[in-house]
Amino acid sequence: MPARVAMQQISKIYPNGVVANHKVDFAVEKGEIHALVGENGAGKSTLMKLLYGLEQPTHGAIFLEGRRVEIANPQRAIHLGIGMVHQNFMLAPSFTIAENVVLGNEPRKGRLVDHKRAIAITAALSAKFGLQVDPTARIEATPVGMRQRAEILKTLFRGADLLILDEPTAVLTPQETDELFWAVRNLVDQGKTVIFITHKLGEVKEIADRVTVMRHGEVAGRVATREVTEADLARMMVGRAVLLSSYARPAVRGKVVAAVHNLGCIDETGRPVLRNVTFAVHAGEILGVAGVEGNGQSELVEVMAGLRAVATGEIRINGKAVQGASVREMRANGVAHIPEDRLANGVALDASIAENLVVDRYHRPPFTRYGVLWPRSVRQHATALMQQFDIRGAGPGASLRSLSGGNQQKVVAAREFSAAPVLLIAAQPTRGVDIGATEFVHGQLLAKRNAGAAVLLVSADLSEVLRLADRIVVMVKGEIAGILENGPQLTEETLGVYMLGRNRPTP
Amino acid sequence: MVHIKNHKALIEASRAVLVVMIALVIGFVITALVSKEPVRAYAALLTGPLPKVSFAHGVEITNLNRFGNWLEESTTLILLGLAVSLVFGARQFSLGAEGQLLLGALAAAAVAVKMPAPFPLHLLLALGAAGIVGFLWGLIPGLLKAYLAVDEIVCTLMLNVIALQLFDLVLLNWLRDPGASFLGTASFPASVVPPLLIPGTRVSWMLIVMVAAVLGVWFLMARTPFGYALKMVGANRKFAEYGGINARRVIALSMAVSGILAGLAGAHLSLGLLKRLTVSLAPGLGFEGVVVALLARNDPRGVLVTGLFYGYLRTGAQIMERSSDVTREVVLIIQAVIILLVTAERLFPSFQQWRRTRSDGGAIAIDRGLGG
Repeated sequence: MPARVAMQQISKIYPNGVVANHKVDFAVEKGEIHALVGENGAGKSTLMKLLYGLEQPTHGAIFLEGRRVEIANPQRAIHLGIGMVHQNFMLAPSFTIAENVVLGNEPRKGRLVDHKRAIAITAALSAKFGLQVDPTARIEATPVGMRQRAEILKTLFRGADLLILDEPTAVLTPQETDELFWAVRNLVDQGKTVIFITHKLGEVKEIADRVTVMRHGEVAGRVATREVTEADLARMMVGRAVLLSSYARPAVRGKVVAAVHNLGCIDETGRPVLRNVTFAVHAGEILGVAGVEGNGQSELVEVMAGLRAVATGEIRINGKAVQGASVREMRANGVAHIPEDRLANGVALDASIAENLVVDRYHRPPFTRYGVLWPRSVRQHATALMQQFDIRGAGPGASLRSLSGGNQQKVVAAREFSAAPVLLIAAQPTRGVDIGATEFVHGQLLAKRNAGAAVLLVSADLSEVLRLADRIVVMVKGEIAGILENGPQLTEETLGVYMLGRNRPTP
Repeated sequence: MVHIKNHKALIEASRAVLVVMIALVIGFVITALVSKEPVRAYAALLTGPLPKVSFAHGVEITNLNRFGNWLEESTTLILLGLAVSLVFGARQFSLGAEGQLLLGALAAAAVAVKMPAPFPLHLLLALGAAGIVGFLWGLIPGLLKAYLAVDEIVCTLMLNVIALQLFDLVLLNWLRDPGASFLGTASFPASVVPPLLIPGTRVSWMLIVMVAAVLGVWFLMARTPFGYALKMVGANRKFAEYGGINARRVIALSMAVSGILAGLAGAHLSLGLLKRLTVSLAPGLGFEGVVVALLARNDPRGVLVTGLFYGYLRTGAQIMERSSDVTREVVLIIQAVIILLVTAERLFPSFQQWRRTRSDGGAIAIDRGLGG
């Protein structure tokens, strides 16, 4: 039987000369769950864009069930039974789930949308595929897991029998992930085929039948998942052995560096986003902050960095009350901050590398002396940091935009790690970062901790928090649901229970 | 690396030259359509501002006044271009140079007429008054934008209207010379008029003030922490704030400092060129500063070059109008076509960059989605 999808000798060369795919062979059998893994820039996104008709291959051919096809646009892809569930959901927030599912193909009664039938259609699809949703609920009022199911139903309603799921678990709790996996298996049982894009190797082992690993735009391997270990997959992705185990933790907890007491915060719309938050970060400790995204972690980071006003409570750094201080005052007190959205907040793309590396320190000697800025000092500083942190670029004067994504991330890391912080706030420090750079960032965080700095690590990646943190704060709806000692007994499942807010904190 | 850089610069330079050539050819075609003597008319545009040197009776230089016109015009344009480049550098689309110029000229005139003092103190006082008034008139929209998020385009355009009415009000009611047959002040005393640099023209010490302003703005941008902060706010305001820069203060100050330069341009018009103040001083001149700054991509050294270029073109156009059968309207059209083409060429790379940013942004979003 011919493969459901066969992409043969696919090459994609962008007009600027970047080779995103080079002679890629990719095949998915009907009725299988096929994982597609690879580091950032490995070319898996490009490959899927070609399959979904968003881009056209430079060379090569695509076959569906043995028939050669040209997929000129997503409409054509949908017509061919290919559906894609994007990571950023494409749903109208103020519409109900049923309205979103039928959007563009609404059942009609005369000239009007037949809402009853829309709800019936959605309910029937939902029951058939075991994707539980409330058809009458508005998207904006539903949790992320249900939105994702609505998105899957939308593609199924359009007749997709090949589903591309783009990092579907990135936004889910472990429990929601389990529910999703159950639903995906159910889809396959009913004859659907699933391509599952992920970088979590544990998930590949758990859900996929086969896996294609990409590296540098080429296929590094295609294997049945039961025949390989996670370490094998990591080696295929990176091209060398990678340490995936827990790091040893010599817990030499020192004095309290940052103390947060009864912190409260209100966002721009007047909604309380932090309530009664109390915790302390000690010297020589990594305090992890876990939680489903949007539960106050980002706001906590902004408050600690001086970017957001405090409504109530206090923050002390080395005993000094600093709530309400400006960013510059916070930084003068020894706070460094790796921001969550590094490309939006952590760099200026059109400024030079050297300029990007001094934004927190340009006003101090040796950069500014006698009120004058000395470009030579700025350049020398950049040259040193580029060497120390292995930032590969044309030179300190090159624009940040000219760097690769990984090197742009390194610029942020180099600046913040070199600031000699007493408190280092790292928000999602490895998001969008490949395995090699993740190792590097983790190593630096541990080195800072071992050198006696306090580290506040906020991450949606539970395995990261469990691997690095000495203690873990779980946040739910702006409050602390629990503070847990990390250790071998602590699992993602336990954290997940706290993250869902089902376990109230014990005093 | 250097080799590639030179290569790129060469390509860019030759492209700029090519665009100017195309613009000039189009200009000539238009001239040929309307003029009986297109070659002579066009020669007036292209070579008019140059002094004529003849060797018939020793060395004799004539038409020096036209050469002077070029430098005078350029002095005003460069000061305005510097003003605009500062606010554009901080990515604030302030169009307030017009109003700041008017009030700067008014302040200089008020000091000239109402505060007698010996030279050069009188001149310095008048220049200082122009700068301070420009600063304050720029600070208003700066504060409104920075702290109340008032749109700076709307705000500065409205302030221009207010400045114009204020200008007429003060001039007609308090500064006007009642004995004069026109609406304006009496001639300024010699103690406040900047001394000439080139006799037979109106090129004065203001040329030196202008060159000092170019150096000053360059130093401010390249060699002071404030210049760094301004650049970072312009490049990415969120990044600047994240790094500890007080972006609001920088925005307010950039618009105020820009006002100093526009105010000095006004002082040049009244003290240096007219030597009195009259109504309808220079309608629309503030916006010519936008053209100069755009052509120079907000680089103060570039402003010097493009200001001279644009001043040359404007002076040549005036000479063409005076000395040929081409009407003023057509001259303005030719001038606009040339500027349009040159601007398009200068803007083209930024447009490409903008497109690249957009597609980059898209690629990053998708890449994050797929690979994150």
